Amino acid sequence: MATAGAAGTSGRTYSFKVVLLGEGCVGKTSLVLRYCENKFNDKHITTLQASFLTKKLNITGKRVNLAIWDTAGQERFHALGPIYYRDSNGAILVYDITDEDSFEKVKNWVKELRKMLGNEICLCIVGNKIDLDKDRHVSVEDAESYAESVGAKHYHTSAKLNKGIEELFLDLCKRMMETAQAEERAKGNGASQSASNRRGVQIVDDEPQATPAGGCCSSG
Amino acid sequence: MADGGGKPLQSAMKMAKQAIQLEGADRQQEAYCQYLRTINYISHILLQEETQGEVERMLRVAEQCLDRAKSFIGKRYVHPVNPVLHNASCSSADQSEAEPGPKAGDSTSGAEGQVDASSPFGLSDDGGQPSSFPPPDVFQRQQTEASHDCRRKTLTPVEEASRQNQKLQASYEARVARLAPGQASQKTSLTLSLQRQMMENLIIARARQDALQRKVEERRQRLQDEANRRFAASGALTAEEQEQRLLYARVLEYELDHDWPKQWRTNIKKNPDASLVLDLLSYLLRSDHPLVELLRKHQFRIYNQLYPIITQSLPQSLPQSLPQSLPQSLPQSPALPLRSSRSNHVRLSPERNPTRTSSSLDSEDAAQRDDSFEDLEHFLSQLDSAPRGGLQAELTFDPSVELEQLELRALKEHLKAIVRDVHGAIDQLLSLCLLSFDCLNTAAYKDLSLGCIEEAFFTPLWSPLLALFRRVLREREQLFQRNMTLYCSTSPAEVGVPLKLFPQDPGTLQGSYPYEVAVQELKLLVEDRCPQRKLDCVVRTLRLICGCAEDYRNQQGGGASRAAAIGADDLLPILSFVLLRCQCPQLLSECAALEEFIHESFLIGEEGYCLTSLQSALAYVESLPARADLADPE
Repeated sequence: MATAGAAGTSGRTYSFKVVLLGEGCVGKTSLVLRYCENKFNDKHITTLQASFLTKKLNITGKRVNLAIWDTAGQERFHALGPIYYRDSNGAILVYDITDEDSFEKVKNWVKELRKMLGNEICLCIVGNKIDLDKDRHVSVEDAESYAESVGAKHYHTSAKLNKGIEELFLDLCKRMMETAQAEERAKGNGASQSASNRRGVQIVDDEPQATPAGGCCSSG
Repeated sequence: MADGGGKPLQSAMKMAKQAIQLEGADRQQEAYCQYLRTINYISHILLQEETQGEVERMLRVAEQCLDRAKSFIGKRYVHPVNPVLHNASCSSADQSEAEPGPKAGDSTSGAEGQVDASSPFGLSDDGGQPSSFPPPDVFQRQQTEASHDCRRKTLTPVEEASRQNQKLQASYEARVARLAPGQASQKTSLTLSLQRQMMENLIIARARQDALQRKVEERRQRLQDEANRRFAASGALTAEEQEQRLLYARVLEYELDHDWPKQWRTNIKKNPDASLVLDLLSYLLRSDHPLVELLRKHQFRIYNQLYPIITQSLPQSLPQSLPQSLPQSLPQSPALPLRSSRSNHVRLSPERNPTRTSSSLDSEDAAQRDDSFEDLEHFLSQLDSAPRGGLQAELTFDPSVELEQLELRALKEHLKAIVRDVHGAIDQLLSLCLLSFDCLNTAAYKDLSLGCIEEAFFTPLWSPLLALFRRVLREREQLFQRNMTLYCSTSPAEVGVPLKLFPQDPGTLQGSYPYEVAVQELKLLVEDRCPQRKLDCVVRTLRLICGCAEDYRNQQGGGASRAAAIGADDLLPILSFVLLRCQCPQLLSECAALEEFIHESFLIGEEGYCLTSLQSALAYVESLPARADLADPE
């Protein structure tokens, strides 16, 4: 769907939208701040602080612009959740390994995202706070097998210790690039004609995905 | 350019006739409004131009309309439409309402007082500009007046000749006047020579005009061929491509007569610079270039479509109190799935209606919805507010509700069609712009061009477009307005803003309230007339919120640790608080319109994020329960 529209239209620069989902205190803001601070220090923190962040990357010679959209974890703001997710290329679903509820919430979001965006969105399920492993309430096996069953990849991170975060984003970017490239190939070379119908192109091949468990993203 | 709607006098008579018909059909309120509209139209016309000879008749029509309108003062408040006033003492209502009288200035708001006074869904803008929209022909005249200075048209030969003849006639009259009474023969000869000269002038002029016409035709053909060559690659022509060729030929023709496009092009080639490009664009849009003609044509066409819809008076069967309209508004989705390009299964409208009596519009994708996300809180809060309204709706059920639904459906269709039209128009304008100035055809300059075109395009159209959105979203706006009133003095904590993000001691704010700067900024949004500027305003508001939040936290000694930066979990409650304080019900429609009209490339970035957040907060405010005690924030 929107993937091809967002990526690859202007030169070799990919623009990806990634939504960040997770309950209130799972540490998703720390995670993303850690990532955006690390390499390029503060200038990548926009004036919207941790709610909207951008990052520029260079992966195997290709430029990637990442826009990271934080979403509110509170239930009462979920009514319009879908307008946050739409046109996303990737989603990072964070739970706290010491909090089983937060993992259940992740499952809900996975369902929702698959339903909205089909299999074209690359899902990352992230167990955060691995520095608190002694209080772990979500077992590694459960989490990983669940992730596999829904075509997502699972990661272990600690925002506090800055562990696993760089890998998470790098991996996600690579998968999103693969998805975008595959889509470009599938579309053939029709892209050159679509200069002026900026809004018309996206609806055409947009059949609802009937099998949410399929895994286009598992190749990464 | 063609005259929009025939002669003004005829238009005025037509309007008056409609009013008489309405009155005949006993639709007093509408008739009254229509009379006032006619008067308004006539004074508009008379102020605008010198209508030869018709002034008197126009004024007479106006006078008669005014008489009819006056005759309503006595009876309109005892009309059965308004049951509430029936019970109340009629005379006092009469006096208080009738006293100001239907003055021309506040005519519309006075006439639609039933609807407008409580004004959650009145179509008048809160921004303080005139609440009535000019008829399309006046709109068109305003369009061309705006750029009158650069339209110094050269005269055609025939026009020139007739001007000369006027001069001849004048000097002839002067001479005749100077003749002594006895010189009758001289007068005859003067007359004859005048006639001869005038005739000759005309004949010469006609010949010249014909020759010129032929030349123009030849040139046009040549240019058309040239344009066709430029687009030669593709085989079969769509109507769209055909039109584009014609337009391009017009551009070529224009450039034969005008030098400035070439000069700008060489300038930009020499010194490719964004500010120069902006200069070119602003010059271009103020010129009489074919692009501008096309722009006007599209604007006029769209305004013409909008005008009858937005000036129609609201049906009298409108629900006038909130409880009645509530149950109907609940099944309405919080965001209309208007944008056709959005994929089907990205639903903009989560089902919030627990009873699942979705309107037929929503029912098709209702099947896809998953219960797992159904929000228990919403469910409960709506159960709380529903019974009262539901009961009343049953008691007062009548076929007019059905009619209303039908009308709403029709309005939505109109809206969809117009949105599509606007996008089509802008696409066409942009591609003609890039064709005419291929130096603009780079990613960055294309964006600049689009921005300038959009600004020129939307500025006169935003108010009427918004009026249509407000009509379609009227019920949601009512709900939003109700909640804004109910919760206007809510504290930040009550909508879930963490204590550390606003000052606990009111003394530190010096008479203001938390996040006031953001509220003030957001209020400015309705002043702008161009989507991009409005979007910038949204972004500024969110940035101010983040800035304030950081200040408040630092004041409370929270320390500026990065880990405590504002995320969406904090942002949305604060934004909801700001919205409640903003007290601006039309924001809902403004946002819905922005979403439709903002260029897609902005939707992925910061602008898109801010707009999405604002919409999310709007939906939250709408969903607040009718009771004054808030649900638990978590």
